[in-house]
Amino acid sequence: MTAPQGSADGDAVLRAEGLVHVYGGETRALDGVDLAIRRGERIAIVGQNGSGKSTLVRHFNGLLRPTEGRVLVEGRDTDGQRVAHLSATVGLAFQDPDRQIFAGKVRREVAFGPQNLGRRGADLQAAIDEALVATGLDMDAQTNPYDLGFSRRKLLALASILAMGTPIVILDEPTTGQDARGVERIHLIVADLSAAGRTVVAVSHDMRFVAEAFARVIVMRDGRIVLDGTPAEVFAESAWPTLASTFLEPPLAARVGARLGLGSTPTDAALEAALAGAG
Amino acid sequence: MLIGGYLGPLAIVLLGVVPAAAIAGVAPRLLRISLLLTLPIAISVVLVSVFTRAGSHVLFNIGPFDATAEGVDFAGQTLVRLLAISTSIGLFGLTTEPRSFVLDLERRGLSPRFAFVALATLEAVPAMVERAGVISSAQRARGLDTEGSVRARLRGVLPLVGPVILSSLTEVEERSLALEVRAFGRPGRRHLLWQIPDSGVQLAVRAALLLALLGSIVARITGSFPSLP
Amino acid sequence: MLELRSVSYRYAGYATEVLHEVDLRLSDGEIVGLVGPNEAGKSTLCLVASGLAPASIGGSLSGTLTLDGTPAAGLATHQLAERVVVGFQNPNTQRSGIAATVFEEIALGPMNLGLAVEDTVARTREAIARLKLDHLVLRDPTRLSGGQAQLVGIASLLAMRPRHVILDEPTAQLDPAGTRLVGEALRSLAGTGTSLLIAEHKTDLLDGLCTRIVVIDGGRIVLDGPTSEVFDDRRLAGLGIEPPARVRLGRLLGSRGVDPAVMAGALTDSAR
Repeated sequence: MTAPQGSADGDAVLRAEGLVHVYGGETRALDGVDLAIRRGERIAIVGQNGSGKSTLVRHFNGLLRPTEGRVLVEGRDTDGQRVAHLSATVGLAFQDPDRQIFAGKVRREVAFGPQNLGRRGADLQAAIDEALVATGLDMDAQTNPYDLGFSRRKLLALASILAMGTPIVILDEPTTGQDARGVERIHLIVADLSAAGRTVVAVSHDMRFVAEAFARVIVMRDGRIVLDGTPAEVFAESAWPTLASTFLEPPLAARVGARLGLGSTPTDAALEAALAGAG
Repeated sequence: MLIGGYLGPLAIVLLGVVPAAAIAGVAPRLLRISLLLTLPIAISVVLVSVFTRAGSHVLFNIGPFDATAEGVDFAGQTLVRLLAISTSIGLFGLTTEPRSFVLDLERRGLSPRFAFVALATLEAVPAMVERAGVISSAQRARGLDTEGSVRARLRGVLPLVGPVILSSLTEVEERSLALEVRAFGRPGRRHLLWQIPDSGVQLAVRAALLLALLGSIVARITGSFPSLP
Repeated sequence: MLELRSVSYRYAGYATEVLHEVDLRLSDGEIVGLVGPNEAGKSTLCLVASGLAPASIGGSLSGTLTLDGTPAAGLATHQLAERVVVGFQNPNTQRSGIAATVFEEIALGPMNLGLAVEDTVARTREAIARLKLDHLVLRDPTRLSGGQAQLVGIASLLAMRPRHVILDEPTAQLDPAGTRLVGEALRSLAGTGTSLLIAEHKTDLLDGLCTRIVVIDGGRIVLDGPTSEVFDDRRLAGLGIEPPARVRLGRLLGSRGVDPAVMAGALTDSAR
């Protein structure tokens, strides 16, 4: 086993090395991905449908296996580790809540994950309570999940993963279908996870959410990483041609900031600060 | 032993079904499927007929049961008839594309609603299998162990089966609304996009088969055909 | 024109009304955006405006829905289908389940209307072209990604050439390019005289697309007016609706005395 590269990557909880994934014998969904995600990072992966972002994150909990290359979770190769085993370390919240809900009550549904990980008694109840409060479902603990609207069921699916208390949390399109209040809630959840030292990885189409909630953005195209940096770096004017090649657009704040010669202002707040600084 | 009793069914199989299967390229599969289907029935037919058929020529006996030549004859004739039926049905199943069949029925007057139900039923199982796959991934990602002890696997039944049923049921209403939006409930015929190819040869063969069927019914009624002993 | 007058609606078996005294008018060629927090009644309004509530799902409706002068109350669902279509956000339920290819899937609607084969094919090709789905025509509809399935679902509705199109979160599964594609397709569709009602959270999309915005909250219409007017309304934030970036940043720039031309320029950059 080779020694870890430099101190920057030494604390990588998630690592992909030369990752290639081919499915159906011919579709090259991942075309050689090298990525290191450090403990406690807040990282968003963006790209068109088909860019490989969902395929990539599914390697981190073992749902998909590399065709070539390898994937390491907390320093250990995922090869040979079962999905259920990896789920104690990596929690993946799926996009479609209706493909996992089976319980008649919200509370029972949220209990499933932590129970599988061996949590019992007061510890289990505390984990469930925390997850329900974070997702705004605490008043609906005894409600039937199908009496909740679709967007709240999505929050339920998220609560089911949060309750598992995994050190790494992966969110697949967390803001789709959410209204403004729902998106705010997701922001808070991401911030709280990060504050607790947990690593957060999100796959998203929402450029504004990505620019505002994450410290690192990875842009994918055709199974490869084409940009990797802070929101300011990734949405800076110099990166626009690369973004355009993936049919992505920088947030409006970035465009306005560029026109005003204020440097890279990927978020409303950054633009405001830059204006205040320039004024 | 009436040779005639065997001739008819064997002629159908050897002169009709097998050459047709060979032309269609499904002969090996057909033989395999027909044998698999007829074997269980064949065994019980043989056992019952050989030993219980009334007859005078006893060949051997096992305990109180006499195996008669008449019994063997009866079993034999029944078996060839079974073979004729199973190979014919098998040939139909292996050479007919279910979708084309249903659509052609609609062209000939089957109500579009029945056609829809038939086609949707054909698709139902693959769709469920796909759904079950996604559900399994989601539950395994929540720590469900699908490879552990029997007890663990039993506990996994509800989280795996539950969402399949629940999501199918909850989607039914929206699904049927979506169908109504696309006018699936409209009475009257549709002009189908699909052309099911037909040819003079196929028409002639179908006509000949129909005549043969009518002819054999008439022959049976008038007594010219040998019936089972 | 599609018109709802004083419409209140209650689902079958439920005591509470989900829509109260709703007035809504959709003129030919109009694109109207419907915004509101979740569970405010957007989806119900879409169902009611299509006539499916109560014609298909029951429930009790007071007030009237009129489609191009004809009251919807007496119409059977297939008669409604000839005039108005509604699309839902779940691509799985939009799929018929009986088509072998995407082309067939899209053709099913016009075929069901009893059209001649040439008309069916023409309308199908038109819908495919509008949503740029040529590369998917021969694919198995069950083997599409969520985004592709959503586009096929929209095309399947457009192929019916309805006069009124109602879409409930049509871009939910789509990436930014797909969202832009749908926006362009809907804009060109409105140009042919079709009226559109689009329920969406993406106010940026609606900002560039709609002539009018209707805001619903608690089952009531609280705002109904031209896009710029409604999106500039300060009450939106209190209603749980995020105004488009243009408005948010416009206010920021305005408070700093920045020339509005800068914003206009930045917007044209992105509308490219």
